Amino acid sequence: MAILNFGYAISRPRAIDVDNNDLRKSNDIIAEMPELQACIGCGSCTASCTAAAITDFNFRKLHTAVRRGEYKGVYDELSKCMLCGKCRLVCPRGINTRGLVMLIKRKLGDF
Amino acid sequence: MTFFAPFTIPFIAGALFMFAAIFLKWLWWTVKLPKVDRRLILHNFFTRNTLVAVWEVVRESLLHIRIFRVNPLLGYMHMSLAFGWFLLIVVGWIETSVYLGWEMIPIQGHIFFKYFTQVNNIDAHSALLENLMDGLLLLVLSGVALAWFKRMASRAMGMRRATKHALYDRIALSALWFVFPARLVAESLTAAIYGGGGFLTGSLGSWLGGVVPTEMLALIYEPSWWFYSSVLGLFFVALPFSRYMHIFTEIPLIFLRRWQLRPTLERKSYDNFEVEACSRCGICIDPCQLQADLGIHDTQSVYYLRDRRYNMLSLKVANNCLMCGRCEAVCPVGINLTTLRINSRAMRRNIPHEGRYGYLTNIDRSSGVGKVGYFAGCMTSLLPAVQRSMMQIFNAVGEDVWYADKDGGVCCGRPLMLSGETDAARKMVAYNTDLFRRYEITTLVTSCPICLRSFRDNYRLDGIEVLHHSEYIERLITEGRLRVAAGAEVYSYHDPCELGRGLKIYDSPRRVIEAVGTLREAEHNRRDALCCGGSLANTVIDDGKQQRIARRMTAELEATGCDTIVTSCPLCQKSIARTATRPTLDIAEVIAQRIVS
Amino acid sequence: MAYRVVIVGGGAAGMQTALELKSRGIEPVIVERDIELGGKVRGWHKLFPTFVPASDVLFPLAQRVKAARVRCFYGQEVTDIASDGVTLRSGERIPADAVVMATGFTLFDAHRKQEYGYGLYDNVITSVDLERMMNGGGVTLADGTKPQRIAILHCVGSRDEKVGQRHCSKVCCITGVKQAIELREMFPDADIFNFYMDIRMFGPGYEELYREAQEKYNIHFVRGRISEAAETIDKRIQIKAEDTLTGRPLRMTIDMLVLLVGMSANYENEGIAQRAGLELAPNGYFKTVDNFLGAVSSNRRGIFYAGAVTGAKSLADTLAEASLTASAVDDYLKEVFNK
Repeated sequence: MAILNFGYAISRPRAIDVDNNDLRKSNDIIAEMPELQACIGCGSCTASCTAAAITDFNFRKLHTAVRRGEYKGVYDELSKCMLCGKCRLVCPRGINTRGLVMLIKRKLGDF
Repeated sequence: MTFFAPFTIPFIAGALFMFAAIFLKWLWWTVKLPKVDRRLILHNFFTRNTLVAVWEVVRESLLHIRIFRVNPLLGYMHMSLAFGWFLLIVVGWIETSVYLGWEMIPIQGHIFFKYFTQVNNIDAHSALLENLMDGLLLLVLSGVALAWFKRMASRAMGMRRATKHALYDRIALSALWFVFPARLVAESLTAAIYGGGGFLTGSLGSWLGGVVPTEMLALIYEPSWWFYSSVLGLFFVALPFSRYMHIFTEIPLIFLRRWQLRPTLERKSYDNFEVEACSRCGICIDPCQLQADLGIHDTQSVYYLRDRRYNMLSLKVANNCLMCGRCEAVCPVGINLTTLRINSRAMRRNIPHEGRYGYLTNIDRSSGVGKVGYFAGCMTSLLPAVQRSMMQIFNAVGEDVWYADKDGGVCCGRPLMLSGETDAARKMVAYNTDLFRRYEITTLVTSCPICLRSFRDNYRLDGIEVLHHSEYIERLITEGRLRVAAGAEVYSYHDPCELGRGLKIYDSPRRVIEAVGTLREAEHNRRDALCCGGSLANTVIDDGKQQRIARRMTAELEATGCDTIVTSCPLCQKSIARTATRPTLDIAEVIAQRIVS
Repeated sequence: MAYRVVIVGGGAAGMQTALELKSRGIEPVIVERDIELGGKVRGWHKLFPTFVPASDVLFPLAQRVKAARVRCFYGQEVTDIASDGVTLRSGERIPADAVVMATGFTLFDAHRKQEYGYGLYDNVITSVDLERMMNGGGVTLADGTKPQRIAILHCVGSRDEKVGQRHCSKVCCITGVKQAIELREMFPDADIFNFYMDIRMFGPGYEELYREAQEKYNIHFVRGRISEAAETIDKRIQIKAEDTLTGRPLRMTIDMLVLLVGMSANYENEGIAQRAGLELAPNGYFKTVDNFLGAVSSNRRGIFYAGAVTGAKSLADTLAEASLTASAVDDYLKEVFNK
């Protein structure tokens, strides 16, 4: 895979290129679950996350990336989620995080 | 003697079509059954179960005893239509046989006997039989009248909402509504012209003979039989594609169920029998809290099964369910609604792709040594008082305990299953099973009913006794290992869905509470208990809606006038505590406060 | 004869309103539920952002109320209010020409966030407990020793849908900064961490104090909300959060956890409002006519508000608002009775 991505990866800008990122998918997701925009980035979801305690998994970063139009690798990363639902119990904004994981996975090409 | 008339063609064609369609459906579904299921059928075919199934067919497909229990009026409606119609056919057969002996008469000869007696000049005027047939017709007509009435005013039938139907159903339903009135008209007209008939058709016939001119009677006589035959034919053609397929599907379903076939987390051919056995009676609508508390009217089991059957199931409908099992508890057909719902969620590409849960290898966060294992569960870690209480209880009885997830564990896998990712869930099942085996525990206690359910239903933990903490505490108390002091405190108890309806554990928590105080039951309890709304199974409703469900349920618990609300599920406790004005405790906390050392 | 105004609540807002009314020649009557005046400020150690002892504000205020001979009812709870008087729990009615609601707020009950272990772990305390400790025998751990590592958690019972508190309690951020500095002065060698979601420094001198806390007092600010706390065998507390600025989960063992509890609307507001026909905001506080010219007026003429009864406020804001309330009451009385 590394070889296939070689040329592309090298020229990829470090900055989040909002001008060129395709926000359609992100807007699609937000339209289905507007509460995603209510995230204040407190990190409670990741702090309590069963998977994040074991592996390098960060739901907050992943959905933030999606909202900026950065989808690369998100689907695979999001697959690490065990859907245990603890994050939904701690979210101070009452976001349906578990539904969101499934929604993002679906929109990023699962089914 | 002739038993043919042109008007019988719609009926004959319809009936042939229907039986062919039903036969093909049954054949297809049976052929597609997985090997395990086919083996089960062979294994159980020549057993007592088959006889039991026959009896159940009589009770449920004809008499509808279970609907009677839920709603007598609705039960009567189903019984009068099913059993009444069945008797009409049987008694009609006897009637023809009485007059003509055991001669081979084509089927339309039986159905349209009143017509053919005139054609063939048969002297068929036994008052007993005619009155009996009229009585049966009246029975069926009363059912039809109730069905009409139910459409108009469902509330009067003890149902807040009646089912909204699909197109196929509307055709079949309209045809069915006309079948028996049409028969009444046709037979009454026959009586009007030729005399005879029982108390119903005879009386109506002589009245018609009095008010309608003879030429007019003669003019509409044939068409009335045409109409009767046509609506019957139409009904038969629509039947295999409409909800009325349930009439014929429930029969094989009862047998298959008695032969131990069950739906699983993966879809399979057996599901067809369950899905199409739904009569769409709508009994599942009222208990649904999404309907009662949130006004959601498109996701109840009856709609879900309808959508699934017609291949128009949307993800939203599949996912918008608390899986509390309240509908399953009242379903008169006994359809495994929650399991079916789960396996239809498995629509997504359910891939445990390489590396997805690769991180589960070489992880062990457990601590302690003992033959008794304690698995708190993910949610319980947000309720430290529960864990602490369990530790106090373990200490009080001097139990050596191995703590599986005190420092964070791996999910039991049920949440993934509830979302249809059954293959992915297997990774968790394998991980935890391996962990339990490695520490050679003989008893596994968990505080989370969700975990408990997966340990019992989806794990193979032979040799390890899996207990909910309420069961474990009950045992400690009855064995005299744990001494507790009773007090004057009044408690009300909330049955968690997974523990109650899911695993039928109702008594253990109650006995535990009664050991330390007084228990007052909420209006809905045990099998009928309300869901807290916090269910993991629903990924559609938002936080505010979850709270609305919780609020009504909490209000019921508080209406008992209890001092403290008790539950035995971390998720339920979280939901209740958000909306309660009284202290909400886990059953372990209640006991830990009352330990006598 | 002077007009009489009943003030419900004898905290800072009630006292200040009473004094202002008195100076305008109106007769105030304070009805206080407690056995003395002072409200929530009583028992508070020092005030942000200047570290003025709370008693330096409260004591003169109470003295002046006493000197002005304001009539006070103690230990009396008001169950119902109307523009022409209030009814006490005893059934007694106190007639008036106008009524001021100055019943303040209720502290968020930290037990409701069970994941933080308040009431369960010995060394988890609230910001209010900390003030009491500083005011009394001093700050120690449950076993009497000094804490080496302290975490202060912002937004406990504020901005949290899970406990039905959507609003920001406004004063906790600056209180957290103030308490961190005070703890630093008590324990020069301790590590002090403030866990926050947002830092909201809205008042004069607040931002400066925040910066001072960072630079001068070496307080660590971690952007992330603690999600769970667990007690270790040696009674220390293990906390979990995400350090959102590095994007990684953070685990830490501390000696003491201070929960900055928020301000909730009084439970009684609902019944009082319903019976008096007053409007409540969605978070349960009384709703004012608007935030500008009607910021102390209720939707019922003759009923006014002062202080935190309409939403979280600092002591400074409360005192300023109380003067405004007195002036609005004065205008109202002139308009209605002195045509």
